[in-house]
Formats: sequence, C-alpha cells, structure tokens
Amino acid sequence: MFRHLAARFGGPLSAAILALLGIWLILMVTLPQLQMIDYSLRPNLLPDQRGGPEDGWTLANYATLFANDIHRAIFFKTLWSSVLVTLLTLAVSYPLAWYLAKVATPRQAALCILLLIIPFWINEIMRTYSWFIILAFRGPLNELLLMLGLIDRPIRFLSGDGGVMVGMVYAYILFMVFPLYNAIESLDDNQVRAARDLGAGTLRTHRRIVIPHAKPGIATGCIMTFMLAAGSYAVPALLGSPGSRWFTQIIYNWFFEGGNWNQGAAYAFLLLVLCIGFMSLVMKVFKVGLGDIAK
Amino acid sequence: MDGSVRLEEVVMRFGDFTAIDKTSLEIGSGEFFSFLGPSGCGKTTLLNMIGGFLTPSEGRVSIGGEPMAGVSVNRRPTAMIFQNLALFPLMTVFENIEFGLEVRGVDRRTRRATAERLLSLVALEGVGSRRVTELSGGQKQRVAIARALAVEPRVLLLDEPLSALDLKLRQHMRSELKAIQRKTGITFIYITHDQGEALTMSDRVAVMSAGRLQQVADPMTLYRQPATGFVAAFVGENNRIEARVIDRLGERVRLDAGTLGELEGRVGEEASLGGGAEVALYVRPEQLRPVAAGTSGDASMGGSTLVAEVESVSFEGAWLMVQARLPGSGEALRVQLGSEVSRSFADALVPGEAITLGYDPAETVVLPRDDGPRVDEATGEVVEAADV
Repeated sequence: MFRHLAARFGGPLSAAILALLGIWLILMVTLPQLQMIDYSLRPNLLPDQRGGPEDGWTLANYATLFANDIHRAIFFKTLWSSVLVTLLTLAVSYPLAWYLAKVATPRQAALCILLLIIPFWINEIMRTYSWFIILAFRGPLNELLLMLGLIDRPIRFLSGDGGVMVGMVYAYILFMVFPLYNAIESLDDNQVRAARDLGAGTLRTHRRIVIPHAKPGIATGCIMTFMLAAGSYAVPALLGSPGSRWFTQIIYNWFFEGGNWNQGAAYAFLLLVLCIGFMSLVMKVFKVGLGDIAK
Repeated sequence: MDGSVRLEEVVMRFGDFTAIDKTSLEIGSGEFFSFLGPSGCGKTTLLNMIGGFLTPSEGRVSIGGEPMAGVSVNRRPTAMIFQNLALFPLMTVFENIEFGLEVRGVDRRTRRATAERLLSLVALEGVGSRRVTELSGGQKQRVAIARALAVEPRVLLLDEPLSALDLKLRQHMRSELKAIQRKTGITFIYITHDQGEALTMSDRVAVMSAGRLQQVADPMTLYRQPATGFVAAFVGENNRIEARVIDRLGERVRLDAGTLGELEGRVGEEASLGGGAEVALYVRPEQLRPVAAGTSGDASMGGSTLVAEVESVSFEGAWLMVQARLPGSGEALRVQLGSEVSRSFADALVPGEAITLGYDPAETVVLPRDDGPRVDEATGEVVEAADV
C-alpha cells in the first residue's frame, strides 16, 4: 500500500499521511478505548484506594447489568426499539429513494433532496424539540386530528416509545435514504422494464430485481441507522418519557450522575458489543461483506 | 388471439417534438417484420408503443385484434429483447429463463422442463446453473432469446439485439434468429439500423425516417423498386442523377439530364410524372456496365450511356469498385464491375481516363425530385429523408 501511495504523492508526503492516520488510530481511538476497557474491568474506588489491595481486574461491572432487572430490560428494549426504528426508517426511505432514483426527473430529484437536507442544517436538539412541540398533548398534531374529527380526545404521543420512534426515524432518515438512493440509482432501467415485460407486477419487480440489487445499500443504511439509534442520547432524552428510557441514558447516568466511570465503561462496552453483533448479523443475513458497504 | 399487430394513425409526441407522425401499419401473424432506419428515426419509439412501454399520444395499437389501450406492459402478449439484453445479473441462467414462468405461477418442475427445452432450442444445453455474468456475448444473446420465448409471447420485439456482437457472430445469429422464428411461428418485430440484417432476415421491412414510414415492402422490392429518394439512398448503394422528364411511354421515361444528354429510366406505374417534371434517376453501381466508347449505347440496353472520368479504382476480390465523376454536373458515380470485365480492361482503368457506361433502363428507378436525402458528411451515411 505504501508503494502505491509513494508512487502518487512521493515518499515524504506518503509517510506523513500514514503517520497521521496511525497517530489518529492509535492515540485517538485505540488507546482511549483500551483505557476504557481497563476502567470497565476495575472496581470503582476512591482515589486513595487505587493501587491498593481492592484494586484488581474483575467482571463485576459487567455482571451488574445482568443482576439489575431494570437495566437489563432497558438494554433489551433499546435493542428491540432500535431494530424497530431501523425497520421503520427503511419502510419510509425505500419508496422515497425509489422515487428519487427512478421516477423523478433530475429537477424534481434535486429539489426533493434539497428539501430533505435543509432541515438538517438545524441542529439535532432544535429539530427534536420541534417534534416535542408537534407531538405535545396540546400540540398542533392533536389539534389537527381533533379538528378533522379523527379522534375525540388528545393522544399522549410522548408517554410511550412512540415519540422517540418518530423523532429517531426523522433524525436518521438521510442515513438510510442516501445509501438506498445510491444503490437503486445504479440499477439499469432495462432490468425493471424487462421484469415488467416478462409479466412481473410492481411488488415482484421490487422483491426480485430492485431489492436484491440494492442489498448492499439496504445493509449500509440499516447498519448506520441502527448504530445511531442504539447510541442516540438526545432524542430519547427529549422525546422519551420516564417509561421509555434508552440504554445510553443509563450509561450517561453512571458516568456523570453516579460518578462511576468503571460501571459506565462496562455498560458502554456492552452496548458496543450489541451494535457489532447486530452489524455482523445484518451482514450475514444480507450476505454482504465490509467491501460492499464501503463502496 | 393471433400474433398480428395493427397500428392505426399512431402519433407519439414528446413535448414539442413529434417522434412518430401519423403512422398506420399492419403486421401479419407469424411474420418476420423489421423496422429499418437511422438512429433517431423513431423505430424504437414504435417498438416501445407496441410493447406498452410508451402510450401513443394519438391513435390505437392492437395485437391479435384486441386493442391494447390501457393494457400494461406486464399484461401484453409481447416479450422484448433489449439492446443491452437486460439479463438479471444476480440470477442463474435457469432463473432468468424461468422468471416469466415463476410470475405466472408455473410450478418448479414444469418451469425447469421449459427452460431446458428452450436452452436446447437456442443450442445452449448445460449452462443452466451458471450465472449469466459468466457467459460470453453470444451465449447471453441466446439466454435473452430463451427468456423472452419462455413466456410464450405472440409477438417478440427485438431492439437491435445483435448490435453488441462482433461481425462474425452477428452474421451467425442472423440465420439462427430466422430459424428460431420459423420454428416457433411467433411474430418477430425487429428494429435495426443495419440494412444487411433487415434484408436477410425479414419477410417485410418498413424503412423509417424522421418519424415516418417511407416504404413497407419485402426486401427485394425495397431494393429494386424504392418508393422514395430516402429508400433509394438508404437501402444499398445508389447513384443519383438529376434530370427532367421529356416524355413517357408506360413505365419508360426519356429524361433530359442537361450536360449528360438524354437518358432513359423506369418509373413506377402509379407515379404521375409527366413531361417537364423534375426527377432524380437512380442507377445502382452494379447496374452500370462498360460499353465501347463512341457508340450511342447498346441497343439491347435501351440506348442510355454515361461518360465519366475515373477517379480511383479499388479491387475488392469479387468485384472492382470504380469511383468516377460525371463531367458537367460534377457528381460522383460509383461503378461496381464484376468478373465479366477482362484483365486488360481493368488495367486500363487509371485515374483521369474516361469510361463509357451503359445501363438497362428497366433496372433503374426514376423518382420525383426532392431536395435529396441529408447525408452525413463524415460517414457518408444517409441521416434523414428530405421532406417530400
């Protein structure tokens, strides 16, 4: 690899690039992570007890999660809800990506993409708060539904997981739409025409031709959305109710409210393992490799 | 319901652009019918209308006597072979061929049997479980044919399917396509800009230009009795000489060709060309024969002679191609001399020499003069017919 780089940029520059990359990977990623692993494997001790007889490696912090019913429930709920968010985002994004890639004229597609991107110029907290307003008990959505006569009393959207779901689908939609769009866009139009010509209806054409072709894009979008959802803090913090806590909030609490970094680190690693596990599972199910996703 | 196709006053407009101008046509069941024309003439648009990929702005399309308005692509009794074949790359050969049957709910065993039978029809046994991406160009071509035939279409639409193949394979596939058509009895509608393909395979050919049908006829009629200047110039090679009608006796006309003197030619019986009409005389290169200089022409040939100046001679094996120029008008004249010319005669054909040529007026065509078809300067190909 170095030879390729050297051929293009010359020796010194290539060495500098690789050195920067190495410094970043080692100093900013690997070492802090190792430090956190070390934290997670040690008991939470007062400063003067560190290095003392009680200091030593233990799995006690990891065991906490499995001993604590509430934390365990929230852990699995976070997993399940993130899967649900991912599926919902996929369901919303697929038709949109199809429209952008194959149906819309270039002008319409450009306009649509612009409209999708503009809200993302506003920061996540503001966007999430606007959903808080929209979904509020006396908010505009309830008003509208009441006015249309679809409901006779306001709905508490924010009391369960519903608000969190909506907020997350909205927050991460672009991470799903763009990989899908890229994948669908590269499909030869004649493939779709041929499928139709051979008698396939819309559903079958998508199931047999478009979706298999777009699989790497679907996998990429799902992995990104899942990672973001599982690791999200702002959306559940703002739109969630006490009954819909996210695992990230527990981690936050260990670190900054409980002051127990060791416990927090262990929980954070469990979340990381969960995410990597999910990613591997998706890649296996969709039969895609890392190379396909990097494309 | 048979495989006949009927177009009634079909018009296709894209915005301000009229791709197909009021076109009516009938294609018989079991016919091998070709649309021949330069790119952009509207032939693919017509094919897409028959296949249901486009809805005509006006007019009707019917297949087997049934109107196709409102019948979507997947419900038409047609199958298309795409220019890029559009095989499904993620599927095996079997899966590709069986796709249309799977859609129709045919059970697995019957599907496989049909696929095997079709693979043997296109001479591709044993590749069924391979991925289509592993096949050669010619093999992919055959899979595309098999896939289209699997759904038992009554009309097979072929959109320049041979254009991606090399010359040798293309010529081989011509006879194969023709054989498959004969075996299956399906109506083939074939789109091409290659006159060789159209003439060798088709029962009838429609020559198209600028969204209009120029002539619909069997290949030999097309070649021998072109109906318009465009057809005369587009199908095969032709020399065009501008003239004015002196008088007419039945099919035979006497022409005043200015500095070239008096010439004779043949007009179609229905053509209403009287004395004084501005016309163009078309003589094919292979119809010109050398005659002895000074004679006013061989009596058996009808008495027309042309004197031209040789510009270049190329020996092509079976024939000699002489590039000459007519004095006066300065128009180019191409002459194809066969094995009947002697070696000494051929050796005497040097640039700058005069050559006297005669022709049989019965083999020529005289057509009303239009502004002449537009010819691409760079390639020498006919691009578009002049407005008649």
